[in-house]
Amino acid sequence: MGFADVLDSGKFIITAEVSPPRGTDLSGVLAESHQLQGLVDAVNVTDNQRAMMRMSPMVLCHRLEEAGFTTIMHITCRDRNRLALQSDLLAAHALGIRNVLAMSGDYPTMGDQPSAKPVFDLDSVQLLQMIEKMNNGLDFQDEPIDGPTSLCAGAVANPGARPLALQLLKLNKKVSAKARFIQTQAVFDAEVFHEFADVMKSTGIPLIAGIIPLKSARSARFMNEKIPGVTIPEDDMRRMEAASDPVSEGLEIAAETIARIRQHCRGIHIMPVGGQGNTRRLLEMCGLD
Amino acid sequence: MIITRPKTIEEILTMLEKFAPSPICVVGCGICARKIQTGGETQVTSLVDELRSHGLDVLDGKMVKHACSATSWDELSEEVPALAQASALLVLSCGAGVSLLGRISGKPVLPGLDTTSIGGALGDDISEGLCSMCGECDVAIYAGLCPKSGCPKSQVNGPCGGSSDGDCEVGGRKCIWARIFETLDSRGLLALLDDTRPPVCHDRRL
Ligand code: SF4
Ligand code: SF4
Repeated sequence: MGFADVLDSGKFIITAEVSPPRGTDLSGVLAESHQLQGLVDAVNVTDNQRAMMRMSPMVLCHRLEEAGFTTIMHITCRDRNRLALQSDLLAAHALGIRNVLAMSGDYPTMGDQPSAKPVFDLDSVQLLQMIEKMNNGLDFQDEPIDGPTSLCAGAVANPGARPLALQLLKLNKKVSAKARFIQTQAVFDAEVFHEFADVMKSTGIPLIAGIIPLKSARSARFMNEKIPGVTIPEDDMRRMEAASDPVSEGLEIAAETIARIRQHCRGIHIMPVGGQGNTRRLLEMCGLD
Repeated sequence: MIITRPKTIEEILTMLEKFAPSPICVVGCGICARKIQTGGETQVTSLVDELRSHGLDVLDGKMVKHACSATSWDELSEEVPALAQASALLVLSCGAGVSLLGRISGKPVLPGLDTTSIGGALGDDISEGLCSMCGECDVAIYAGLCPKSGCPKSQVNGPCGGSSDGDCEVGGRKCIWARIFETLDSRGLLALLDDTRPPVCHDRRL
């Protein structure tokens, strides 16, 4: 079943995130991903996440598809102009990749190649429009291509961004540009997510809530300070500080969050900090394995 | 106004050693560079002194009215008798002034400043990056606050995911989208932002 079918099915969706290696060897990430077999509906593969240089996600998606996974390839506007975006979308399609997640991308100065030219030729709304055109057999200039693509494109949102009305300005354009689903930034505050889900309800677009199990009090503080729109509630911070086994406590907090938001979203997207073994543990704790 | 920032004395000395035979003349610009104190009389005089203290042969220093105009050369020729002996010019202006003086003078020209953006000045308050010369100005839609230049990611359809409580994800600045939104909201004109904007046609700048 392709991811588009999963979206249509009404099933509670589970996706997990993996990152390509910072080198040429895929064996580690492939072995690690093996733990997700039979557990998730799709595996997301990041694109130079947080502007940190890594292997192209297309290659890892391809290898994961060969191994029987459905993949969602992240594609950012940071590193490619419209020629390169179209070129990569055609290549991904030719390799059997059918799902992409369109996003602007973090600014180069956030990552390990801070002097890189920030491209941003298109924004994420225009990228979604580009994909829609290609799905209709047209390039971005409205000229025919040899056979349409059939790409299911999602977009991202940040339920915690304030003011929300400002965030919605762009999000509504993503919905109009035919985004098939919205994957959110990590959710820690269930109330904030409920409010967001309420606002988005009328659009009918499936919401997939991002979940990051906290690993330590230190990394929780780091996320609080460094990741825009992510606010970890005081209570969770205290629990992480007091925990004798912070990894388990982090998974416990994530499981509680999932329980609270489950009725308000179509699925969850797990971004593990550490191994995929934790993804399995978390899903078991939630009875979602 | 073109925004410039001074190169360090070390950068200038290295450049002079590599590209310029002495003696040289230092030239400043009386418009933008003077206003933001990167190439006015004061900066020209102090650079001449500093270069001489490093043992360099500097014939003279002069701020012209506007470096990016042919009249700057007439002005220099009239008022700097030593100009003819200068083997090169060290110019404290934006890149356009450096380029233009290079063309008219036929001499090697060296930039003493780095040019960063187009901005403006409200008294001493210098605003950088107000326009990136896209060649199709549609700033009326955005309450005059240009997101192509004011947003590091040139987002024209709303903020990126890094916008948080009015701050930009790129260090120490405000998110231009928060300002656009507030301004249009206060004027009851938010509907201006309803339509999805197309990307910039870069060929319009050719
Ligand atoms: S839209 Fe922005 S970048 Fe383009 S000309 Fe106008 S102010 Fe300059
Ligand atoms: S936070 Fe705002 S100004 Fe900064 S890059 Fe994002 S949209 Fe642009």
